[in-house]
Amino acid sequence: MSLFNSSQMELLTRYLDLTATRQSLVTGNIANVDTPGYRTRDIDFHGELQRALQGDGSETTEPVAREVQGLIARPDGNNVSIDRESMLLSEVQLEFSSAELLLKSEFKTLNLAINEGNGAI
Amino acid sequence: MNLFKVLDISGSALLAERQRAEVVASNMANAESTHTAEGGPYKRMHVVFGAHPMQKSGFAMTLASFNDMNAEGVRVERVVQDGAPPVRRFEPGHPDADADGYVAYPAINPVEEMVNLMGSARAYQLNASAVQSTKNMIQASIDIIKS
Repeated sequence: MSLFNSSQMELLTRYLDLTATRQSLVTGNIANVDTPGYRTRDIDFHGELQRALQGDGSETTEPVAREVQGLIARPDGNNVSIDRESMLLSEVQLEFSSAELLLKSEFKTLNLAINEGNGAI
Repeated sequence: MNLFKVLDISGSALLAERQRAEVVASNMANAESTHTAEGGPYKRMHVVFGAHPMQKSGFAMTLASFNDMNAEGVRVERVVQDGAPPVRRFEPGHPDADADGYVAYPAINPVEEMVNLMGSARAYQLNASAVQSTKNMIQASIDIIKS
C-alpha cells in the first residue's frame, strides 16, 4: 500500500467512476422519455462495484449496461418511468457528492501529513 | 466515464423537445389554414424521435480514457405529415370552397396539440434538471482539485 494510492482512494475512484457511468445511463433514459420502442437501461451498480473491487486494478473492467426488467411499457413500446429516473438522478448525485467528499478528506489527510511535518526538524 | 458527454445527451434531448414544441406550435397556428404553397389545406405534422448513440465531441476525442459505452441521446428522425383527411365545412362564400360549397380545413384538434405541448414542456424541464445535476457533479469533481 502506497501513501498516495491507498486502497481507500482506489475504492472511491471506482465508486465515482461507476456513479458517473450510471449518471450517463439515467440521463440517456431521461433523454429518450418520448422515443417509441426505447427500453430503460441501467447497470447492476452493486454487482459492478463488487466486480471492480475483486479485480486487481490492473485491467479496467467495463461496466455492462442491461435493459431493466419489470417496468411497465407504454403502447408505443417505451418503458421509461419518469419517477424511477428522477429518483435515480438525485440518488446518483448524492452518491457522487458523498464519495467526492470522502476523497477530498483523503487528500486533506495527506496534505496534513505533509504540512505538519514542516517544523519538526 | 466522461461527464461532459452526459451534458451532450441531455442537450440532444433539449433540442429534440424544442423541435417538437415548434412543430406543435406550427400545428396550432395553422389550425385554420385552408391553403398552402403545395395546395390544399395545411397538414398536421408529427415529429418522430429516435434513440441514437452520441457522436464523440472534439473534447471527448482528446481524452484517451473516453469510454464510448451505452447511453444514447435522442434526435428528431423525421417530421411526418398526418394522413387524416381534412375536415369539410360548408362555407359557400369562402374563396377556397369547392364546387359543392365545402371548404377543406386541416384536421387539427387543439386539445390534442395542447397535451402534446405540455408533454414536451415537461420533458424539457426534466432534461433541464438532468443538466443541472450533471453540472453539480462536474463542479464537485473540480472542487477535489481546489481543496
